[in-house]
Amino acid sequence: MQEFDFVKAKSLDHACTMLAGKRGRAKVIAGGTDLMIGLRNHRLSEEVDTIMDISGVGELAYIREEGELIRIGAGTTHAELALSSILWEAAPVLSMAAKSIGSPQIRNRGTIGGNIITSAPCADTVPALLVLDAALLLRRGESVRQVQIADFFEGPYRVKAAEDELLLEISFRRLRDGAKSLFDKLTRRNALAKARMNIAVIALQDKNKVVKDLRISLGSTTPIPCRFTDAERLFLGKVPRREDFLKAGQIISSEMVEKSGYRWSTDYKKPVVEALTAAALKRVLKAE
Amino acid sequence: MKKIRVSLRVNGRIFTLETDPNRRLIDVLREDLNFTGVKEGCGIGECGACTVLMNGKPVNSCLVLIGQAEGSEVVTIEGLKGKNGELHPLQEAFIEAGAVQCGYCIPGMILSAEALLQNNPHPTEDLIKEAISGNLCRCTGYRQIIDAVKIASKKIARKE
Repeated sequence: MQEFDFVKAKSLDHACTMLAGKRGRAKVIAGGTDLMIGLRNHRLSEEVDTIMDISGVGELAYIREEGELIRIGAGTTHAELALSSILWEAAPVLSMAAKSIGSPQIRNRGTIGGNIITSAPCADTVPALLVLDAALLLRRGESVRQVQIADFFEGPYRVKAAEDELLLEISFRRLRDGAKSLFDKLTRRNALAKARMNIAVIALQDKNKVVKDLRISLGSTTPIPCRFTDAERLFLGKVPRREDFLKAGQIISSEMVEKSGYRWSTDYKKPVVEALTAAALKRVLKAE
Repeated sequence: MKKIRVSLRVNGRIFTLETDPNRRLIDVLREDLNFTGVKEGCGIGECGACTVLMNGKPVNSCLVLIGQAEGSEVVTIEGLKGKNGELHPLQEAFIEAGAVQCGYCIPGMILSAEALLQNNPHPTEDLIKEAISGNLCRCTGYRQIIDAVKIASKKIARKE
């Protein structure tokens, strides 16, 4: 394994002070489920000489409900998310995403903050947080800023955060009454398999089945994870027609090719994007 | 690379050691403390052979830096015992059900099952499958392992 010095953050303040002092030469480890593999494969950048552990910082592990707002500490594990009754009630799409990750062992260590910061294209919580329009709270030294998750990604494994910036919290509004949400993914096996592609959807229809709100995001589809607003607009203000489900999938697959280019995997991915989208929309939307 | 001092409790005993920080929990458990029941399979958190209980929860000890285990309570297969030196109900059940073939996955498998039974002494088959979903077994096809966890659940109920 690569060589480095190791420090254990005792508190949030301690972590931020140390990070500021190291000026980009420290790398944060939380659950370590991705970073440990990077260290093993000598993928740590040469500028980094210190690993700072935040897995013991209790101030970063919480799920709170404040009126309409749900606030989640970045150090909350996937297992804690998947077990939270607050979350199953307020945003089942995120509970489902967390529950689908890796294995019990991975979920007991991996954190929501790590999932976002590592920003693997297949990160399961990311599409769920995109449809929830989540906001991220980051701290650098003493200064704190908030950013929408949709504006946070730069590309695969790249986020718009400084090396000495720490993700503190993820927050979003609970689903509106009557809204349905869903997370689904295609994997090679049921457990311990990274998503080949994943999808998160939130939908709200009125009594007459008119679509009031629809949000769709797919992972492993575009270099920068995003919502597919063209496909969403196909349904807004209308009663869904069955043929629109596949049409929405085709809109998304065209957008994928436009943004990602035509790659060796495109012939395989296109039909999957279309089928995954159609199946998910069929499950959350009532058609005429 | 500066050495670090780490204190952790393994199978009820406190160990304090000085070590390089770029070692994993599994390395210290096997090489320094001689708990060789912890097995390394893939080394990337996919096979579950290195599963130990850390503060009561199953984790892959190949994905934990030794410094992260500071102050934690670790249980390896060596720490699982029945009363008065007898076999643990899970160990008895694995033997009865013929759930052990090559045996390499078994320490991790039993610890995942133990974590499940601690939380839920009467799990459904689906919960058993979910609990061992992070432990790969290439010999048994899992059937006998699932049966063994069910037998252990009954044994524990009888002993209560």
